Amino acid sequence: MLNLLWLLLGGYGVGILLPLCLPGRPGLQQLTSNVAAIVGTSTGVILGLLGLTSSEPVTGSLASTIPLLTFTVRLDPLAAFFVLTISLVGLAASIYAIGYLQHFEERASTDTLGALFNAFLLSMTFVVLADNAFFFLLAWELMSLLSYFLVVTEHEKAEVRYAGLFYLIMTHIGTAFIVVAFLIFFQGTWSFSFEAFRHPAQPLPEGMKTLVFLMALLGFGTKAGIIPLHVWLPYAHPVAPSHVSAVMSGVMIKTAIYGLIRVYFDFFGGQFPWWWGFTVLLLGTTSALLGVMYALMEHDLKRLLAFHSVENIGIILMGLGAGMIFQAYGLRELAALGLLAGLYHTINHALFKALLFLGAGSLLYATHTRNMEEYGGLLRRMPWTGIFFLIGAVSISALPPTNGFVSEWLVFQTLFLSFQIPTVFLKLMLPIAAAILALTGVLALTCFAKAFGISFLAQPRSTHARQAEEVPVSMRTGMGILAALCVALGVAPMVVVPLLDQIVAPLAGISIASKVLAIDGWALAPVNVEFSSLSTPVLALLLVASAILGLGLAVVLGGRLTTRRSKSWGCGITLTPRMEYTATGFVQPIKRVFSTIYQPTVKLETEFLAESRYFSKRRHFEFHIEPIFEKYLYDPLVAFFGTLADRLKVIQAGSLHLYLTYMFVTLIALLLLAV
Amino acid sequence: MQGLSSVGSQLVDLCSALLLLTCFAIVAQRRLSACVDLFALQSSFLVVTAALVAYLTGNPHIYIAAGLTGIIKVLIIPRVLKKVIDHLNVKRELVMHVNVPTGLLICGGLVMLAFFIAQPILPLGSLLTRDSLAIALAIVLIGLFTMIARQKAVSQLVGFLVLENGLFLGATAATYGMPLVVELGVFFDVLIATLIAGIYTNRLQDAFDSVDTDRLTVLKE
Repeated sequence: MLNLLWLLLGGYGVGILLPLCLPGRPGLQQLTSNVAAIVGTSTGVILGLLGLTSSEPVTGSLASTIPLLTFTVRLDPLAAFFVLTISLVGLAASIYAIGYLQHFEERASTDTLGALFNAFLLSMTFVVLADNAFFFLLAWELMSLLSYFLVVTEHEKAEVRYAGLFYLIMTHIGTAFIVVAFLIFFQGTWSFSFEAFRHPAQPLPEGMKTLVFLMALLGFGTKAGIIPLHVWLPYAHPVAPSHVSAVMSGVMIKTAIYGLIRVYFDFFGGQFPWWWGFTVLLLGTTSALLGVMYALMEHDLKRLLAFHSVENIGIILMGLGAGMIFQAYGLRELAALGLLAGLYHTINHALFKALLFLGAGSLLYATHTRNMEEYGGLLRRMPWTGIFFLIGAVSISALPPTNGFVSEWLVFQTLFLSFQIPTVFLKLMLPIAAAILALTGVLALTCFAKAFGISFLAQPRSTHARQAEEVPVSMRTGMGILAALCVALGVAPMVVVPLLDQIVAPLAGISIASKVLAIDGWALAPVNVEFSSLSTPVLALLLVASAILGLGLAVVLGGRLTTRRSKSWGCGITLTPRMEYTATGFVQPIKRVFSTIYQPTVKLETEFLAESRYFSKRRHFEFHIEPIFEKYLYDPLVAFFGTLADRLKVIQAGSLHLYLTYMFVTLIALLLLAV
Repeated sequence: MQGLSSVGSQLVDLCSALLLLTCFAIVAQRRLSACVDLFALQSSFLVVTAALVAYLTGNPHIYIAAGLTGIIKVLIIPRVLKKVIDHLNVKRELVMHVNVPTGLLICGGLVMLAFFIAQPILPLGSLLTRDSLAIALAIVLIGLFTMIARQKAVSQLVGFLVLENGLFLGATAATYGMPLVVELGVFFDVLIATLIAGIYTNRLQDAFDSVDTDRLTVLKE
């Protein structure tokens, strides 16, 4: 298995170096880098599958000359699962990139882009494989920096540079918290090896454990984009090239979920008080609800998807948090179920979010705009992209027979089973979380009804959309793979659940595969078949059957099937695209209902004709929603540091000699102190 | 062997003392090109010291370090600095933040301070070069002081190089030299730093028609 790791390393290594050695041939550069990435990711898929099915974790180690740093890798089921997720999404993205990058050839240097993309995938793989805190942090920092460079690919634009800077600052703040968490472990064990973290000589004191919990939550939470640490996400994800956005949004933020599970369940062995789980659940619920609500108001397709990442990270954390609560009360089966639901949603979100980002990339490729209001009528022009995007949209809206439905159903069931917890407070809280999850699901459905409807249906709203053409085969292949996986994971949970159980069993200490898969695997049940059960294959069959039935009935009873092409009746007025339902109009009711949260500002300026106020010359409409977190949390913080820096300016006289004197005096003072 | 080591130790001390002496000369010297010459002289003393240590201890890698010091600090850097000075319109340091007599007094004080600080450490060492440690510290402090006292970018650069000489002497004295890789890195850094500072000085001359680093205060917002 370690040979596979070398192959993976080799594949990515070639992908990093070769494009840089082929100057002046952008087409060849991007082809080699993407083919190398395909080799690397395919190896990763095999490695992940092998790691998931093997009984014993595989370890390998490489010494280094730097003290405390050994390049130790450990492929246990948890790591294998994330390697698999990263590689699957990476594979689809690399295939997609072959076609997609063609329209980047004049705008960015394809050699660096290809090299960075390979290095980014490699660093992510090592984040989850690392078995040494130092190595982990090294890979983690590399991942953050490389993704920053990928985000600023189109650095000529001020918007991109701003997003990149914002991302860089946020991710470094997050890393600082993670470093603190690991240093606390280090103090207890005097080793950076994860093995030592798992089995410390003496357990950490309670206070320190709480500190580790908070630090890890803040640190990994920043990367995951939980509210209120999500602010960088809607800036950074949209401006990156779309295949990079897909990888970032699909899997990079999942490495944070990996980190949380690793620390809470692996290092602490699931020994923690109930309020840890409750905190995670609370943050998850908030992120899920606010994420989808902000997504609804977005008309930039990629920003919309970025906000949905916040939502889905929230759903994953709800599963995880519920699992942690059950774990704290010793309800091991339910803890395992929560964890399993969270992990299931992790891979599902990776697949459908990557699919949607690739779809958004295809729209961008075809129309050169991210603004939904300029799309329209694209289903007829780009049927494949349309179908794939629809599958992604159905998935993310948690509708059967796709994967999003299965995992959200499992999260629901986990939350409903809270009646087994002995505390009244939690018995009350978890169903409320479930209710909010239901609201989230509905809002997500609205959001994607809007996204799909406005983009693909009706008439083209702009010349760009009118001239759009279907994207190249490689891009369709990339999306097709993900779409197929979305459906497969939806109808075949009996294949997925045993694999996930491999991960969950060592962490929660109990195997639940046999209980979750009722009736020989044909139905899913949340541990207890009497409570509820669901058979996705049957559901899928029913759906297909009812569609066929409906069609059949229409044919039988509806009479002769004729196609008649004529214009819609518009009360005598010629219909133009400007009369279509806009994205803004579509979400107007929701904006009204939740105006407390959105705090919208609507500005309508009308310029009238001088002759009569019955005729307007020009109308200007502006609509903003208040970015609450930026305004009330981040702006004051930034202002505070700004003032602090202003105060410190006093000692910054700008004189070289003065600075040298500072150093000199400090040196002498320290030397005298040392004597 | 005891005799040889004692004589060797004396020789090392002598060379170190000469290094220190050149420092004072640099502090007292107003002419820029003479400062550079003195720096070259100091570096050649450093080469001799390092070669002596290498011979006495039988560490061949110190020879390499000594050779590199010779090439870089005695030959290349002074030549670069002379080129820079040729470009300037002022060849002498006219106004200093601290005048020469006061500067010399302060440097004397710094040497005493260095010996005072090194006093508790010296008896602990068993190396034949241990006395040089105090001298090395003194050179570092004087180098830093030169950077503060002078206004012209070139003399500040000389101050920096003197400081670096002190560090090199300290490393040789305290541990018989750093690992060769580290030393190579340091040499490279010094060379690059000098080149950059040389270019920067020329730019300064072009932009302000002067190489007074005091003028840089106008860059502040």
